[in-house]
Amino acid sequence: MLLTMFLLGLLYVVFVAVLVSAGIGTGLMLLIVGGMVLAQLFFSDKLALRAMGAREVTPQEAPGLHAMIDRLCIQADLPKPKIAVADSEMPNAFAVGRSPKNATVCATTGIMRTLEPHELEGVMAHELAHVKNRDVLVMTIASFFASVAAMITQNAFFFGMFGGGGDDEDSGPGFIVVLLVSVLVYAISFVLMMALSRYREFGADRGAALVTGRPSALASALMKISGQMQRVPTQDLRAAGQMNAFFIVPASVKKTAATIFSTHPPMEARIERLQRLEAQLQGTAV
Amino acid sequence: MGFLDALLGGGKKLKAPAPDRLFAMVTAQVALEAEIGLKHRNAAGIVFQPLSTGDFKTIVADTVELLRSAAADTGTTVDSADDEFGYRWLVLRDSDFEDLVTALNLVSAELQGGGYGDRLLACVFAFEEAGQPVYFIYNFKRGAYYPFVPVGDKQRGTERELRLKAQVASELPIEPELERWFPLWEIPL
Repeated sequence: MLLTMFLLGLLYVVFVAVLVSAGIGTGLMLLIVGGMVLAQLFFSDKLALRAMGAREVTPQEAPGLHAMIDRLCIQADLPKPKIAVADSEMPNAFAVGRSPKNATVCATTGIMRTLEPHELEGVMAHELAHVKNRDVLVMTIASFFASVAAMITQNAFFFGMFGGGGDDEDSGPGFIVVLLVSVLVYAISFVLMMALSRYREFGADRGAALVTGRPSALASALMKISGQMQRVPTQDLRAAGQMNAFFIVPASVKKTAATIFSTHPPMEARIERLQRLEAQLQGTAV
Repeated sequence: MGFLDALLGGGKKLKAPAPDRLFAMVTAQVALEAEIGLKHRNAAGIVFQPLSTGDFKTIVADTVELLRSAAADTGTTVDSADDEFGYRWLVLRDSDFEDLVTALNLVSAELQGGGYGDRLLACVFAFEEAGQPVYFIYNFKRGAYYPFVPVGDKQRGTERELRLKAQVASELPIEPELERWFPLWEIPL
């Protein structure tokens, strides 16, 4: 975990150094990308909720969900987040918001129908653990480096034209170097980000087990959801592809996808860790 | 939660209970009755998450046994009930308010002594005002109280709650953040 974050930081330093040495409009570019990251921090929650068709619910509309989250918040020592429900058959849940005070947790109607109360409680505790661990903030900051690189790669032609400025012979090599480095930075930071995200999923699973005291309930929920995920229509899955980083279970569970590119750890690993927690709780761990 | 905990994706333990301020309710109750006219309903409850481990079950059973054997002196009765969210309520009834608080304190001390203090959710004190229930909820993690006035279908008498806050703030440590005034619906008191 620490190593991953260290590598991310190192990557950033090297990247900036190369950019500066290449001497293109670094200041302007960082300003734009910084602005985009800030916008992401402040508006991504509303965008995500809208993309999922989620709407905030009052305690009268969803008394059970509210009461469940009230109790979990007391246990987790969190202020109450906004609670939203998305009208979707896909059994899933997610949390958005840059800080505990601005958080919204969302469950789909599908997950509320599919899971038993204790399993749902485990899932909501997992989302609250994301809120408590400030995972949205951490992942947004971590994605900064990838955003910078992606932007350069996408705008390479644009930058190339300006860098060229009629003096083709001098600027040519510099531009290609920046482009190559950007591609490399993007590829590496992407893999590291995925690794970071997986660590934080394990962290949220552990947090949920601590708050509910029932690791097995979450394990059972994960098994149920992952079994269910493969049966929902593909179109729904594709539409939800953008949202994967915030979901409790990624929308597509293709076995073929290499684990290194996955935002979530494999289900078996998560369930195994939860079972280990249960063993510790029962005092039977070796 | 410390910075490093946030960085590393969460601490290893739940927050332990704050220093106990349960007995602040004993003096506050006198003021509540004399100055505001809130009558206590001879009942209080403590609610916690029951863990499904043998150790935990033994501690709870022993605690209930202890309370029942003390009942000969104090007259405090104890009932146990599980609510629909899987939390366990121990409901204590006694016309002597101080005995109620002592009994609540015994339960919380037994659970904390067994290393399960982090499973304690809240204590609830039941009062009434002109036949309407008024509750004070003690949040163990925060070591603070807040009023809870349910009216009708999952609605809260927020105005009355805020007024109560102003009225008892000098007697009771009141939770300062309103977004932590969590309701507990269907309190069995």
